[in-house]
Amino acid sequence: MTCSERTVELVECARRNGSNAGPGPELRAHLSLCPHCRDRWDRERQLTAEFRIMRMRTAALGAVASGSRDARRESLMRDFSRRRDLSVRPGRAAVPSWVWGLGAAAALLLALFLGHQAGKRPRETAAPAFRTHVPTQQTVVYEANYFLSNDASALSSDDFIAVPYTPPLAPGELVRMVHADLYPEALASLGVEVDPSWAGDVPVDVVVGEDGLPRAVRITDNGQF
Amino acid sequence: MQKSDEELYRLMRKGNQDAFAQLYERREPALYRFALHMSGSPAVAEEVSHEVFVQLMGPGTRFDETRGSLESFLYGIARNLIRVFHRQGPVMEAVDRPYHHDILGELIGNETTAALHRTLRELPERYRDAIILCDLEERSYEDVARLIGCPVGTVRSRLHRARALLSAKLKRLNAPSEVFSR
Repeated sequence: MTCSERTVELVECARRNGSNAGPGPELRAHLSLCPHCRDRWDRERQLTAEFRIMRMRTAALGAVASGSRDARRESLMRDFSRRRDLSVRPGRAAVPSWVWGLGAAAALLLALFLGHQAGKRPRETAAPAFRTHVPTQQTVVYEANYFLSNDASALSSDDFIAVPYTPPLAPGELVRMVHADLYPEALASLGVEVDPSWAGDVPVDVVVGEDGLPRAVRITDNGQF
Repeated sequence: MQKSDEELYRLMRKGNQDAFAQLYERREPALYRFALHMSGSPAVAEEVSHEVFVQLMGPGTRFDETRGSLESFLYGIARNLIRVFHRQGPVMEAVDRPYHHDILGELIGNETTAALHRTLRELPERYRDAIILCDLEERSYEDVARLIGCPVGTVRSRLHRARALLSAKLKRLNAPSEVFSR
């Protein structure tokens, strides 16, 4: 057996027996012959003795620190009961995580379904208000390119009334003047002051831009005036 | 019959404060000693042994019984906390504590023990773990292997290596006295 192999046995022996008991006969015989191993044996025993001192002093430290330990323990217990009270507060009961997952999945499916439905619905372009109220035929009476002004209020000349809240005409935009018969309600929606006594359709000329939106309206022949 | 750590933990998670108190009584002293040996600072040891249980009761605890024992889990938390303290640098010790003057003073008073303690703290963590758990806490190789999650043979070889390093230190410490004695 070599010295390095003896060392393993030597260390284990020093650890097990401490400083009080000696090695077995075989190891003792080797130690008597090998100064290197004897030196290591002495140091291992010393190490074991030092560890014993460290253990005792650490135990003493722990005992002295027991006062602060009690305070820490109390603090922990208070913290524990506070957390427990929070977790059992009514209305804040712990919800299993799978419930949250299920809810999120349901919300996602609903959003997908609504999105799909919205996609299927035919897109409605913003139609001029009067179109929905025109019971009679429309006749295009005039078409021209608009060069005069970007401001639709310019169309107010010749008894035209500008329709409020409509985008201005672009220079060169094709405008059409459409003749139509409109209900008084439709006229009111185009910004025309309507007498409540009016009944039936009112013949009007409407200036319509390329986007189909009315820009100005003029009452042409209303026998009710 | 005494309940296992894991049973106490399960009860604790259900809000049983007695179970938590039992766990604390059972494991805190050893964790304190472990942290004290690892850091060399009573303040850090107190902080670590306290914080381990704060984390244990916290909502983010990820203890999984199938992956190891609760004790091993607690030592793992303690080891991580000590690393954090180690990175943060030296800790200011409270000077008005009686043990700081008496017992620790005695410890430092013994030059050989103090030097060994310093050397122990300077050892790589894996060797320090082995010395502290096997020789200072007197745990079996099997216990330590379970706690630090490595084979028994590895624990034994680390311990022997660590002892060899400390033994070499001891040799240097003994040398001057031998010179004087001649």
